Amino acid sequence: MEQYSILGRIGEGAHGIVFKAKHIETGETVALKKVALRRLEDGIPNQALREIKALQEIEDNQHVVKLKDVFPHGTGFVLVFDFMLSDLSEVIRNSERPLTPAQVKGYMMMLLKGVAFLHHNNIMHRDLKPANLLISSSGHLKIADFGLARLFSEQGERLYSHQVATRWYRAPELLYGARKYDEGVDLWAVGCIFGELLNSSPLFPGENDIEQLCCVLRVLGTPTQDSWPEIVELPDYNKITFKENPAIPLEEIVPDAPPQAVDLLYNFLVYPSKQRCSARQALLHPYFFSSPLPAHHSELPIPQRGGRPPRQRLQAPPTEFSVNLPLQNSVVDPALLQRHACCH
Amino acid sequence: MYHNSSQRKYWIFKSEEELEQMRCKANQKFRNKTLESGKHGVTESMFLERHEEDVLFRHYERRLLDFCNAFKPAMPKSVVGTAAMYFRRFYLNNSIMEYHPRIIMLTCAYLSCKVDEFNVSSTQFVGNLLQETPAGQEMVLEQILEYELLLIQQLIFHLVVHNPYRPMEGLLIDLKTRYPVLESPESLRKSADDFLTQAAMTDAGLLFSPSQIALTAILNAASRAGLNLMSYLTECLGLKDDKEALSKMCDTMRRMKNLLKKYELPKPEEVNVYKQRLERIHAEFATSNNKRKRGYEEDGHVAKEPRLVEEEWTDEDLM
Repeated sequence: MEQYSILGRIGEGAHGIVFKAKHIETGETVALKKVALRRLEDGIPNQALREIKALQEIEDNQHVVKLKDVFPHGTGFVLVFDFMLSDLSEVIRNSERPLTPAQVKGYMMMLLKGVAFLHHNNIMHRDLKPANLLISSSGHLKIADFGLARLFSEQGERLYSHQVATRWYRAPELLYGARKYDEGVDLWAVGCIFGELLNSSPLFPGENDIEQLCCVLRVLGTPTQDSWPEIVELPDYNKITFKENPAIPLEEIVPDAPPQAVDLLYNFLVYPSKQRCSARQALLHPYFFSSPLPAHHSELPIPQRGGRPPRQRLQAPPTEFSVNLPLQNSVVDPALLQRHACCH
Repeated sequence: MYHNSSQRKYWIFKSEEELEQMRCKANQKFRNKTLESGKHGVTESMFLERHEEDVLFRHYERRLLDFCNAFKPAMPKSVVGTAAMYFRRFYLNNSIMEYHPRIIMLTCAYLSCKVDEFNVSSTQFVGNLLQETPAGQEMVLEQILEYELLLIQQLIFHLVVHNPYRPMEGLLIDLKTRYPVLESPESLRKSADDFLTQAAMTDAGLLFSPSQIALTAILNAASRAGLNLMSYLTECLGLKDDKEALSKMCDTMRRMKNLLKKYELPKPEEVNVYKQRLERIHAEFATSNNKRKRGYEEDGHVAKEPRLVEEEWTDEDLM
């Protein structure tokens, strides 16, 4: 911990406080996530274990946040991440104008690259949502918060919890109580995020779990055994019945979106998980190859944390002799010395 | 994926000699620390020698496996394998004289359950200590939680362990689909499983990749059944034109089989003698963890009065 100087608080996560800090030796700004073990009956929280587990076993990827270090501290430990300026929910909330089609495309491409990478590494994130998609100072999107992530295996005999994913982005099979599911839950969330980028507002903003299902059913239509054969096996199927209604064309749900975007959206928002388009495949969709092309990360907005105007100085101004300054700033201009230091 | 795992990067070692050196170093470290502490009446003869430590290590390792195999609900193999691997990794750099294997083995099992998402509550976990009273179980749980952080640190926060069980399933499937010469690959399963169980009690997991262990298990099972699967290596696994890789693989398999052959059950009379000495060492020098305990107390985690503990329950109570 002595290696870092704390610059401020960023927020409070599920398992601890997140600080902004500077690595004293390198001058690098990082986010420190403190995991305290206090008051916990079961010891080290599962969420922290999952996060370490998922992030430690994968190679660096531009679109996944990097776990730089873990070290013990007091009665717990600290996870060190790259510091990120903002997240996608703030981008959506704070951008003065709606995002341009090219910008939406840029974000989607980075999101899909990150998700494709995770799935390739057998990691289900299980909690994809705009607030977990961090934006770096260079405009890069990085998937974060692996507190619910787990490694999946094709064997699929283990049961998983269905209480995962923030409600608005929760896949319909989870809403029906599924205990066996796959990376399709992430692809559903990708679809929801896509819709939210296109509309600048959430696609299925359910107030509670039942209403969440209503929101989804209203748009996709009441599921039938034809449209979703696996539904009969889900625990909560039959517990709730809804008035039958036909699907609403997605064109009406995202009215301003270009046809190709709508087509891609259709690929994610389908009931049977297996039918959802994989992230890798989605990256090959014509949407990404037609005009306007995805915006370069430098063309993407980078709002500040909490929507505050950028604060230039969080640290004290550098002193005259600081290792952070270029050397020439710290030495006296020889021209000034010349008069005083001539050779005798 | 194993390829970019922390296991491959940090926990696979060159040779048995290297492992032995690390363990000697840990043993020496404890001696030095204790001698330097200037405690009255400390003599070299009190300490356990490396080979004595090793006997006790194997004893507690078996206890760990017994505990896991008797666990209710039944513990998946991968959870057991991970726990055993944690235990081996922990005592690469720590002496059993410093941290008592009785509690470390339970902490390994507890952490492994959590990491491998085998969800049992902490009460359920210690409920498997059948000889303990509920109060005793609670006490053990407190200790497990005390040591959990130490364990995870000693594992350098590398939590994912790749076990040979899945590669073995994969190889069996591969044999069934691509190697019709072999009539019933399933008949090899029992004997291959036994090999993996044996291998878990050796350093195989610190020297070889899980797929190498699985392959050796299968080939070994085949040769015991009088079958030769060399053509599977050459034809199906593409080693035909790579003589170097083939001879390397054969060498690996030979080394692994030797490792298993060398394994000796700890002798009960030796265990008893060394155990008494271990208990004495812990009773006299068990000061190292006071600091950690205090840390928890400050956090209000351990509300009860500090106990001097480990003598209060013996490992005979565990099962």
